[in-house]
Amino acid sequence: MKKTLLTSLGVAALAVSGAANAHFQLVYTPDVIVEKPTNMNMKLVFGHPMENGHVMDMDKPEQFFVQFKDKRIDLMNKLKPVSWAGPENTAKAYQADYRVKRNGDYVFAVVPAPYYEKGEDIYIQQITKSYVNKGGLPTGWEQPLELATEIVPLNKPYQVFAGGTFTGQLLSEGKPAPGVECEIEFINTDIDMKGNAFGKENYREAPETAIVAITDQDGEFTFGIPKAGVWGFACLGAGPVTEHEGKELSQDAVIWVNAQEL
Amino acid sequence: MNKKQFSFALMLSMMPLASMAHTPLCSCYDNGDGTVLCEGGFSDGSSAAGVGLAVVDANGNKLLDGKMSEDSEFEFNKPEGDYTVQFNAGPGHLVEISSEDITE
Repeated sequence: MKKTLLTSLGVAALAVSGAANAHFQLVYTPDVIVEKPTNMNMKLVFGHPMENGHVMDMDKPEQFFVQFKDKRIDLMNKLKPVSWAGPENTAKAYQADYRVKRNGDYVFAVVPAPYYEKGEDIYIQQITKSYVNKGGLPTGWEQPLELATEIVPLNKPYQVFAGGTFTGQLLSEGKPAPGVECEIEFINTDIDMKGNAFGKENYREAPETAIVAITDQDGEFTFGIPKAGVWGFACLGAGPVTEHEGKELSQDAVIWVNAQEL
Repeated sequence: MNKKQFSFALMLSMMPLASMAHTPLCSCYDNGDGTVLCEGGFSDGSSAAGVGLAVVDANGNKLLDGKMSEDSEFEFNKPEGDYTVQFNAGPGHLVEISSEDITE
């Protein structure tokens, strides 16, 4: 009896500490490497993908675009509001369709509206990038997008492996940002593209504390990816803007990579 | 195209997915206006400008011969019937794309 009680308390404490930290803005596509012209269906969701808990409301983003070679294509008019269901609640999210036709790298980027986090009395704005490749032709995945803050991949982000590593360089206003804490998570459940929902079951138990890397003097971090899946890196408070509507703003840089088994 | 040739073409058309250095890549699209656009390149991101490209009919007869433009593109009028695009970047670097895989 005593043991059960302690265990329950332990689990509750872990759940609470986990929930306090790990916000991740998703820009999710089911596939990141396509061979033929494909209508990409994307979901923009703000949640806690590793714990798979509470989902948060998104307001209309400030920017949403795709970078293809030297062209930046505005996708704001493609955004459609949806209601996204997490295991505990539902929240406002967005979806978009974009046809990937020509060969090359497509970098999807969102600059969300700042989100007010009551628990911490701060605003959070996670500037997020995801990558899709068509036809195997690399055309600029390693290029920065001149965002306020961003993680530039130093490994091809749509071709990393379980058991391998991923290295990114954090930039703030285009310059390397050293000493910044980057949280690391994976999407720990199924994504129901039709039903706009996270799965009820998690793939595996989330680690007891946040997975963290600190950027070095060049703004770089490296992480060994233990399992296949969709991995996100969020470097916190990396951006130049630190205040929004009189409150603290954490302007974060997020990147998503897909790791597969070799 | 007999079955063996087809398998070979299929195998070659899968080659862009293989992750060898300097693998030739080619994709073609039916523009829907009677023309077909092909774009080429290499897996290391280098240009395919000047690389030869041919279109052959179902019997292997060459219908046209051309070269990739400065933008690594080649456009041609869509032939009647089945055809195959051959992107020829040298020995061991031939990519063949069957018309049935060329869609809008």
